[in-house]
Amino acid sequence: MNLRVFWRLLLYDLQVTLEYRGEVLVWMFNLVVGPVIALLVWLTANQQGIELPYNRQQFVTYYVLLAIITMLTSTWLGEFLAEEIRLGGLSHRLIRPVPMIAYLLANNLGEKLIKLPYLLPMVGVIALFFRDDLRMPEDWQDWLLFAICLPMAAGVAFLLDMVLGSLAFWIDDVRALVRMKDLAGAFLAGQFVPLALFPPNLSGFLEVQPFRYTLSFPLEVLTGALSPEQLQRGFLLQISYLLLLWLLYSVVWRVGLRKFSAVGA
Amino acid sequence: MAAITVADLAKTYRFHRKEEGLLGSLKSLFWREYLETHAVDRISFQIEPGEIVGFLGPNGAGKTTTLKMLCGLLYPSSGTVNVLGHQPARREAAFLRKIALVMGQKNMLWWDLPTMDTLLLHKEIYRLNETEFRRNLTRLAELLEVEDLLHVQVRKLSLGERMKMELLAALIHQPAILFLDEPTIGLDVVSQQRVRDFLRQLNREQGTTILLTSHYMADIEQLCPRVLLIDHGHLHFDGALTELLTKTAPIKLLSAVFAAPPPPTQIAALFGAWVQPSDDPLHVRLSVPREQVAEIAGQLLHLGNLADLSIEDVPLEQIFGSIFRGQVNAGGVA
Repeated sequence: MNLRVFWRLLLYDLQVTLEYRGEVLVWMFNLVVGPVIALLVWLTANQQGIELPYNRQQFVTYYVLLAIITMLTSTWLGEFLAEEIRLGGLSHRLIRPVPMIAYLLANNLGEKLIKLPYLLPMVGVIALFFRDDLRMPEDWQDWLLFAICLPMAAGVAFLLDMVLGSLAFWIDDVRALVRMKDLAGAFLAGQFVPLALFPPNLSGFLEVQPFRYTLSFPLEVLTGALSPEQLQRGFLLQISYLLLLWLLYSVVWRVGLRKFSAVGA
Repeated sequence: MAAITVADLAKTYRFHRKEEGLLGSLKSLFWREYLETHAVDRISFQIEPGEIVGFLGPNGAGKTTTLKMLCGLLYPSSGTVNVLGHQPARREAAFLRKIALVMGQKNMLWWDLPTMDTLLLHKEIYRLNETEFRRNLTRLAELLEVEDLLHVQVRKLSLGERMKMELLAALIHQPAILFLDEPTIGLDVVSQQRVRDFLRQLNREQGTTILLTSHYMADIEQLCPRVLLIDHGHLHFDGALTELLTKTAPIKLLSAVFAAPPPPTQIAALFGAWVQPSDDPLHVRLSVPREQVAEIAGQLLHLGNLADLSIEDVPLEQIFGSIFRGQVNAGGVA
């Protein structure tokens, strides 16, 4: 596998996703509508003097950036991989000297590159509307930390999907599982409500569960909601999840492939 | 050195039985009855570089399973496989670069894009330089007569065109061995013939070793000097197609057309039990033992008024039909 192969795969995915540009537009629109509504609700609550762990500026920053970070860190590959395994499309990939993960990475990256130009103007308009309360970090260190934890969040989400998708080697219908993960994951990742707004007795659990590191953590870094100790602990956990999931994926994939080759590709 | 050496190769599938309906599904969650099937049962053979070999057998005989073990998609349960000095199941890049697999029922090409995009990907995957790539592309596209279709979206191609494109994409890196699983399935007669002509030419000019499974006897008849007959996972016959035919089909069909109807009593007296029913009194059909064909043909000529005479083999379909129904013994492995 070399970069030229990856480049070709990426070009392919870009072209195919472009074929579905109408759908992409609708998805991206849906992606920004939810956060805007949620933001308006919280701002109303805030105005009425309800005591909340976030102030107005933090709410605005969180929800304005939510759509972009969600898009950049989410994947649709779990179902895709499961279908490839279930319907035997994997055979054609295995017969070529390219690792499966290269196809999946290219697909993931291609999808994001196509979605970004749709999403940025929409978010731009919203940001313009809320510009007075939007607070971005002023320190370059904060941006650096964000630049590090964002791709790691995408990595954690990607690997979670790969592990789940690989279960198709053993289970016929993984789609139900993937959907369940998507829903529970979105909730636990802070896609609907910032994790800081959950009941305080849950905070311990929320901090260590993996979904935080797919979305909420980079947003927390960007909104400046974390103390240096929390930052340190967060990074440590994110790296641990990344390594752990990579290890898990490697094992599940290898054993699964052996199973696939055992029962008839 | 042989291109492929297979010794005592076996593949056993284990699967669970599920009773019909929802209740059956629930039951199978907690209690499963496992069954085993010997898809391939200790078969051995060798294939030399440049051979075209056909795998013959009914559905579920073990042909595709064998093919998949040879190209590394399936782990053998026991026995050994050596293909071009590699153990296929390890799927080393060096091995995968030397082989190609085309499955008649599955697409390798990218559906939404023109074939050219898949070809460019293969150029990188198989590390072809620009000159090699262009040379192979020109030659293959010319042979397959698809020069005008390279830039057409795959989903807009006809089934026959798509199969040609699959072949083109599979062969762009000049593999030493080409595995074909039902390459002509679903194609019309003309397209089938084109694919066969192409494969023959590929074998002759490039020396590509070709292994194929097919349901169409014409594929086997026209392409494969050697056949492996597989049924219920066993290798029943390995040798020349002609040899298989003499062993299993000792009968030839003689068809004579007369200008004036010959007296039926004379026909019955001369040829007795060999006479086959015919609706046309001018047309006499006989099924005759191979060794007596010349003699009988002479007798037909002596009857006078003979307008036409043809001697044919029993159709392969019919022969294999009787072999697989157990009516004829192929005579073990040659």
